[in-house]
Amino acid sequence: MRLRLSYDDRSAAILVFPVLAVLLVVAAYPILYSFWVSLHDIVLTRPLRRPFVWFENYERMLGDARFHTAVLRTTVYTVVTVTVTTVLAVGVALFLNESFRGNKLLNALLLLPWATPSIVNGLMWKWIYDPTYGLMNALLVKLGLLDSYRAWLGDPDLTLFLISNAAIWKQMPLAALLLLVTMKAIPDDLYRAAKVDGATVFQRFVHVTLPALKPGLMLVLVYETMISIRHFDLFLIMTQGGPGDASYTLSWLIYVETFRSLRFGTGAALSYLLAMLTFLLSWLVIRALGERNA
Amino acid sequence: MAAITLQGVTKRYGSVTAVQALDLAIHEGEFMVLLGPSGCGKTTTLNMIAGLEEISDGTLLFDTTDVTRLPPHKREVAMVFQSYALYPNKTVAENIAFPLKLRRVPKAEIERAVAGVAEQLELTPLLGRRPNQLSGGQRQRVALGRAIVRQPSVFLMDEPLSNLDATLRLSMRSLIKRLHHQLKATFVYVTHDQAEALTLADRIAVMRGGVVQQLDTPEGIYERPANIFVASFLGSPQINLLREGLPRPDWVAEGRDVIIGLRPEDVARPGEGLATLGGRVELVSPLGSETQLEVALSGGSVTLRVPKDWRVREGEALEFGVDPARLHAFDAATEQRIAP
Amino acid sequence: MARRLMLALFSALFVLYVAGPVLWLLSSSLQMESEITAVPPNWLPPHPGLHNFSAIFSAGDSAEYVNRGIAGFLPSGAANLLPSLYNSLQVGLWVAALNLVFSLTAAYAIAVIDFKGRRATLYTVLATRVIPDIALVVPMFLVIRNLGLINSLGALVVTYLAVTVPFTIFILISYFEGIPRDLYRASRIDGCGHWGALRHVYLPLSLPALVAALMFAFLTSWNEFLFALVLTQNVAAQTLPIIIAGFVMDFTTSFSFVNAAGVIAILPPVLLAVIFQRYIVSGLTAGAVKG
Ligand SMILES: Nc1ncnc2c1ncn2[C@@H]1O[C@H](COP(=O)(O)OP(=O)(O)OP(=O)(O)O)[C@@H](O)[C@H]1O
Ligand SMILES: [Mg+2]
Repeated sequence: MRLRLSYDDRSAAILVFPVLAVLLVVAAYPILYSFWVSLHDIVLTRPLRRPFVWFENYERMLGDARFHTAVLRTTVYTVVTVTVTTVLAVGVALFLNESFRGNKLLNALLLLPWATPSIVNGLMWKWIYDPTYGLMNALLVKLGLLDSYRAWLGDPDLTLFLISNAAIWKQMPLAALLLLVTMKAIPDDLYRAAKVDGATVFQRFVHVTLPALKPGLMLVLVYETMISIRHFDLFLIMTQGGPGDASYTLSWLIYVETFRSLRFGTGAALSYLLAMLTFLLSWLVIRALGERNA
Repeated sequence: MAAITLQGVTKRYGSVTAVQALDLAIHEGEFMVLLGPSGCGKTTTLNMIAGLEEISDGTLLFDTTDVTRLPPHKREVAMVFQSYALYPNKTVAENIAFPLKLRRVPKAEIERAVAGVAEQLELTPLLGRRPNQLSGGQRQRVALGRAIVRQPSVFLMDEPLSNLDATLRLSMRSLIKRLHHQLKATFVYVTHDQAEALTLADRIAVMRGGVVQQLDTPEGIYERPANIFVASFLGSPQINLLREGLPRPDWVAEGRDVIIGLRPEDVARPGEGLATLGGRVELVSPLGSETQLEVALSGGSVTLRVPKDWRVREGEALEFGVDPARLHAFDAATEQRIAP
Repeated sequence: MARRLMLALFSALFVLYVAGPVLWLLSSSLQMESEITAVPPNWLPPHPGLHNFSAIFSAGDSAEYVNRGIAGFLPSGAANLLPSLYNSLQVGLWVAALNLVFSLTAAYAIAVIDFKGRRATLYTVLATRVIPDIALVVPMFLVIRNLGLINSLGALVVTYLAVTVPFTIFILISYFEGIPRDLYRASRIDGCGHWGALRHVYLPLSLPALVAALMFAFLTSWNEFLFALVLTQNVAAQTLPIIIAGFVMDFTTSFSFVNAAGVIAILPPVLLAVIFQRYIVSGLTAGAVKG
């Protein structure tokens, strides 16, 4: 008997098949496969022996000091990056929401950091932070804020924040654009009503803009968190986890474990832990924002 | 080549039943109007005939062919939408030519057909324009043109005139009527405007909550409404419905609990063979050709339409005659018509 | 008056922050190695010239480039830069084109057709969007290595499709839903099947979204680093970001050269962003207001 599918069902099947096939092969299968790998002790330098070890990889990593450091670094980096990006983006969006001459031009300029490849972003800031020839030293000394040149990225207390600064520069524009769109959708009447009620500029921001901005803010926070937590490119280019372990994040640990030590089992286990951490954090952000307004 | 038969056709959206076991036989060449209040399932029915909505249950026949599962592009029906639905990126000529182009009609023939349709609908000077450069009435004529250029045997129209102003609506109404005579196609026309339904239809199907209440000629629907809903949906002003105060027609059994209906225009000066009623005139609204009155009777107040030479004044008592044969009786419990 | 002063001040700060770093990169790329290593640095190039760029574009020609005297050292890998540029271009164009073909049909089906499994399909697509790519890298590497496809640009293209397609579908769906449903109905009545409706209604009416989608796909693959790093190991198959990252980590490379390479990598995406600015902003924010 022929399976009786309607014309719609048949057409839809043909239309979505290619995408589902690609996603299945390139996303779903690797995800499942990687879970399988994470249950094995696989070291590429020892290709023939790859025993099944249950959750040993997870246990070992959860007890590993490097893992603890990496979680700490990743958390600090993510929190700083997301917070500063968002605050800066709100400011920029408020500024660009004003109507003034040249507004359009500044809007277009926002796409510059967004379009910059992350590798170039890393190279650029590394050059700016350069201990001898860099712009940062020169500028700060010239402004009288600094006595003598410093090796910025070599300072373990600063490294993470300096990398974060580069990330913020690139990520802020998209966040600002998203917030700007949300802001533009706020009806003018709301502001007019608030004005009539005698609200100050600040009160208007807190009572009108901020609540209306919530969906946009939520999107930005979740998105930025998911992006920042997995940052890798900047760390490879700028510090390679150093100095010492000052910028040793989870992504970096995964990379080192997998592609330098060639321990794919633990690498896969770490990837899973990172994915779960990502989901957990995004979920917490959604929860926290959701509750405050409930 | 196009009688349309719906047998127990049902449409469900999840738990909502939009159309309930609809039986409807539309004859070839007939002008069928689906009439009913908003949300009663008219559009859904039309879309199911077109193939734009899947039929949840039941059978749809074109003549004797089962088309229940046939996708719309295989059904050879034409349709006109309330929103006109002209392709914004195509000119008027391209819009009209589109159905023929899809059917790979030779270019010369398409041009001839488009020119002919444009002539017929007075669109010739507009052929090079785009939809956003047209007025509402012009857009609707283009939509009509796009439908008739294929010379289809089935025409579906979903409230095609409701976005037009009153004058334009009248002239479009007669245009559609003319088209029906010329094309001899089967028309299924959806509207919630009773005047449109009464002037255009060969037969009207009055719907409510996804169920057909009555299927009849305009005259039949108006003169012999099947139930209270149909009686009050058609007629302006609405039919007067009273439990008491109006004479009981003689075909109604004694003691039966009934509601009596009186159309506002079914009144005359008291006279031979008429039942005489009396009451106080509460409101007089002159409408030019006639006068509309609100008269308080013993069982309630009624609206009447009387010739303007009656010269009544508010506050006065009025006596008028009613032909018992023209009264409508409905069972008070079932709301169904009690036929003579 | 105060407001105008404030706005001017903010504008200046804004331009300085957003464009400053790139301008300095540009300025550095136009200087000789001796000028760039001056302390304190030259804010503007004393003798602006394209010598660094011409060195890159002639790096393949002869051996004499290795020591350019005052211009500083070129890394031995300098000759790889042009081929990698070509690789990046190739991958980017393929990804952009295929991404559109795949996403267009799927987005149409999800947005327009009411089919069994519509929700499941939508959620599958959205779910792949939230997987961190670092979590995908390890298994992808193993899968592609087992298939013997390391160093193949094709493997890179397919991988980037998985990254870009969900996003494109997301953009297109929200755009398609804004196209009046009656237009779709009219086209079906006029005789279009689903292919016809896609071709005659949705395709011509969603050009802005399509342009945006093309841009994103191209930019994403042009800028992508992690997968490229892991999935390509010989220079013939590597993309621009990998080669440039190699220069940065090679301490013998002259700064002026690295900066010029950076400018070359920045140029195509920035040009595209400027040209298609309108589409990109509307595309980027398409789902933001609704979702
Ligand atoms: N896609 C849908 N999902 C769920 N319910 C629907 C859907 N489309 C229509 N309905 C419901 O089905 C019923 C009939 O709708 P339909 O559009 O056929 O009404 P209509 O008679 O054309 O009304 P109107 O005069 O307002 O156009 C309504 O109650 C409507 O809410
Ligand atoms: Mg309707």
